[in-house]
Amino acid sequence: MRDLIEMQRRFGAALAVAEGGRSAPDLFRGDADAVRRRFAIYRGNARATAAKALLAAYPVIGRLVGEEFFSGLAREYETRFPSASGDLNEFGGSFAAFLADFAPAREIPYLADVARLEWQVHSAHYAADAPMFDPAALIALSAEEQLALRPRLHPACRLIRSDYPLERIWAVNQPGFEGDLAVDFSRPPANVLVYRPRFRVEVRELDASAAAFLAATHAGGTLEQALAAAQSRDISFDLAGSLLEWVGSAIIVDFSPAGGTP
Amino acid sequence: MVRAGAFSPMSGSPAHDSNGIASATGVGLRACHYRDFLDGHPRTGWLEVHSENYFGDGGYDLHVLDCVRERYSVSLHGVALSLGSADGIRAAHLAKLKRLASRIEPVLVSEHLCWGAIGPRHFNDLLPMPFTRVALNAMVSHVAEVQEALGRRILVENVSSYVQFRNADMTEFGFLVELAYRSGCGILLDVNNLYVNSVNHGFDADEVLVEVPAALVGEIHLAGHSKGDDVLIDDHGSAVPPAVWKLYERACQRFGPVPTLVEWDTDIPSIEVLLGEADKAAQVMAVAHA
Repeated sequence: MRDLIEMQRRFGAALAVAEGGRSAPDLFRGDADAVRRRFAIYRGNARATAAKALLAAYPVIGRLVGEEFFSGLAREYETRFPSASGDLNEFGGSFAAFLADFAPAREIPYLADVARLEWQVHSAHYAADAPMFDPAALIALSAEEQLALRPRLHPACRLIRSDYPLERIWAVNQPGFEGDLAVDFSRPPANVLVYRPRFRVEVRELDASAAAFLAATHAGGTLEQALAAAQSRDISFDLAGSLLEWVGSAIIVDFSPAGGTP
Repeated sequence: MVRAGAFSPMSGSPAHDSNGIASATGVGLRACHYRDFLDGHPRTGWLEVHSENYFGDGGYDLHVLDCVRERYSVSLHGVALSLGSADGIRAAHLAKLKRLASRIEPVLVSEHLCWGAIGPRHFNDLLPMPFTRVALNAMVSHVAEVQEALGRRILVENVSSYVQFRNADMTEFGFLVELAYRSGCGILLDVNNLYVNSVNHGFDADEVLVEVPAALVGEIHLAGHSKGDDVLIDDHGSAVPPAVWKLYERACQRFGPVPTLVEWDTDIPSIEVLLGEADKAAQVMAVAHA
């Protein structure tokens, strides 16, 4: 068995060698030149698979940097953060950290934040489903009982805060986007919500009170606590209108009874 | 220790495994054809998907698969379980496959005669096995473990390869047949891969067909390949080539009716073209058994 482990380690190490790695491990029969050419097919497949999987998760980064630069990023990323899962949809989770650290990518300062958003969009696509909430269940409760409920976010919901106008960068780089491509980078930091009304992942910017409410909800707070958080940002926060819209957009999908575990 | 042979091939013929799709042809379901299957009811005997594409907790892909499953038999074809890894089956991967199989109730479950992961790394490719006794023993135990976890027999597919190990002491199909007898798994015969390897490694594909006991063959795959410098590349990117059709015809004569699937993974054509290939396979199968 040690032989088999050793063989697979050597095969794998030779595959992982990036540019310039032209040799094949000494494991195969046949003419050395032919073996080298044939082993290179596996190496090429590995590069192509990684680049394709990464581009599927990060289409906006792909558009922002162009095909050639992206394939360079993919090669470098794969070397530093190799795939650890047989599910390629899990490949690429450290791309934002990689971009923040990789000097050539840092020339576009917002790239890492866009990657953070895209990974959340990607993972939201595969998040668990949740049935739509029927607000009729709440009508029988008193106002006090209602305030003690814990709103529950859809499993696909993610909150992101960034110094850059992420929602706008994302929107103008969606396929089929028409209109003004300008992005105003002078705006203040903003909160972005990733959510999935049914099967299509959406991205929206949140004002400070909505972000505070949903963050408190995400942390397991009660309706009363979330409301207080929202009102600390905007005293005129519209609770009923916001809840109605969030339930309708499957952002909030349930209200756990008072005392229930968050 | 998992007992090998718990799912003996004697306990059921391939026809028993494949519940009603015994002589049917099907196509691989890919995302670009989702709409065809959601909006209409394309005529095909059954569908096969890559298991790993449906490993998520929820979302659109699983929704489509649930919808399609209501109207078609579905086969789960894994590409990354890595049955041949020297350091064993990845438990998390097997758990996800088991969850998916419980949800979909597939007509067939299959994997590959290959490895793809070692240590913490996954190469996400179908890498070739050294056909040695040591590798065979490991694979028998891994296949038995998977069958035990899933509570059913699986099929294992021959892969195309570009290199051959110096220390091999068996042929690919010698290895695969013995794996099937010892673990109780069936064989998914990929006729394109067999043809590609016969050219790449210089052997007679027809002689291989004779080596394989008919009772072990539970499914056949057909696909296209392309020509590299001095090798054929198994890219599933074109119509099934004439040489592969000829080999398929002889496989049909030898193995009797076997569920047959057409795969097309790059430069994927319209659903009509894909179904046309499956119809052609049905004709070849019918003529072979007439």
